[in-house]
Amino acid sequence: MDEISDIVVSDEEEEITADVVLKTLQTAWQNERLAPEILPHNNDMVECMLGQIQHMERNINKLPKTDLRASIHKMELSRIKFIICNYLRTRLNKIEKYCIHIMNDEKQRIETGTNYLTLAEFKYTQEYIANMEGHLKKVVLDKMPGNMKSLEMNKMAVYPNLLTHIFLKANTSINGVVLEDLVADQDEEIDLEEGSQHILQYKPIADLVKNGKVQLV
Amino acid sequence: MDPYEIEFIGENRISSIIPNFTYDKIYLICGEFGPFRAGLPLNVPLWLAIMLKQKQKCRIVPPEWMDIDVLQNIKEEEKRSRFFTKMPNEHYMVEAKLILGVAAEDVPNAAEIKTIIKDIWDIRMSKLRTSMDALMKSGGSYGRLDHLTMMEINSVKPLLPSAMDELYKIKMMTKRAPTAANLNNSTFSQSGSSQNT
Repeated sequence: MDEISDIVVSDEEEEITADVVLKTLQTAWQNERLAPEILPHNNDMVECMLGQIQHMERNINKLPKTDLRASIHKMELSRIKFIICNYLRTRLNKIEKYCIHIMNDEKQRIETGTNYLTLAEFKYTQEYIANMEGHLKKVVLDKMPGNMKSLEMNKMAVYPNLLTHIFLKANTSINGVVLEDLVADQDEEIDLEEGSQHILQYKPIADLVKNGKVQLV
Repeated sequence: MDPYEIEFIGENRISSIIPNFTYDKIYLICGEFGPFRAGLPLNVPLWLAIMLKQKQKCRIVPPEWMDIDVLQNIKEEEKRSRFFTKMPNEHYMVEAKLILGVAAEDVPNAAEIKTIIKDIWDIRMSKLRTSMDALMKSGGSYGRLDHLTMMEINSVKPLLPSAMDELYKIKMMTKRAPTAANLNNSTFSQSGSSQNT
């Protein structure tokens, strides 16, 4: 029961401990909750943590029900499950909202091997779009005169607002983040010191979120 | 994010407890804690401390900053400074609320401490409102907010970012249609004020 061996993430050779996985997941969850667009997936970490949870649950079942340790472990597992569920649900919400836009972008990303969605999420997006199309056709379009039956999915696309303002905290010092000023055509350059907090538009720092140099708060 | 999610994140902070039971080390996913020795203080995550306290298995050792003199100093400093001062703890409000909520008897002068922390929060919130007002009036799309805690940032999230988004949209529109700028401005200020009410 009391052994948590170091776990190995399947894709990489290096060993990481369970608490590092947990911290990574928590950061990923926080960023996903606060970013306007969908972020690259963290499937390795999710899978790894799910395995860990299963392992833990098997062990808890061996303990007597009244054991204090059992309730502590259960509490921790509930907390971790909450993070994972909330994280995945947030991603699904974004997928449903921006499905057409995400699908178009994702097809390009798959070609370069930098996909943001997991395989399951990709399938879900495909099915979601197909279902929506089928539904619209069945309910309305099929009953329309012939010249009004066409459906242009791309015109229905909803896009995330990348210019929305977000709060962030810099994990490392980053110099020369360019804030485009489209209004006065005057770009401004700012430096983000380590640990400092800012409010600014999402677009200029989108890549910094994805590579973990800043953290949304 | 909802306040309960911020609280959830804050609960991962380490705090100190004195257990009234003896147990071996416990190996959690977030790390190992213990061994628990009755009467000897040890560090555990805040959520565990709260849970044990609710089961009456421990006393919570209040964090160092939860002390009248320390807090009084912070309050004075906060009053004096034009800027936000650094708080003793990223999640001071969460920690205070949880500890004073379930373990008020473990904290000396709990009632006074509650009042001071509330005062500090109020001073900071009013500062935050003033600086938000200044930021909006200057029409900036960038601001720096050092030393604000997550809970404080979260409290202005429903308002500030969307207000700045709107301001940006208005600016873009007036730029695109400079001739109609005057007309637009007046309509926008009207809709702006009706939103605030």
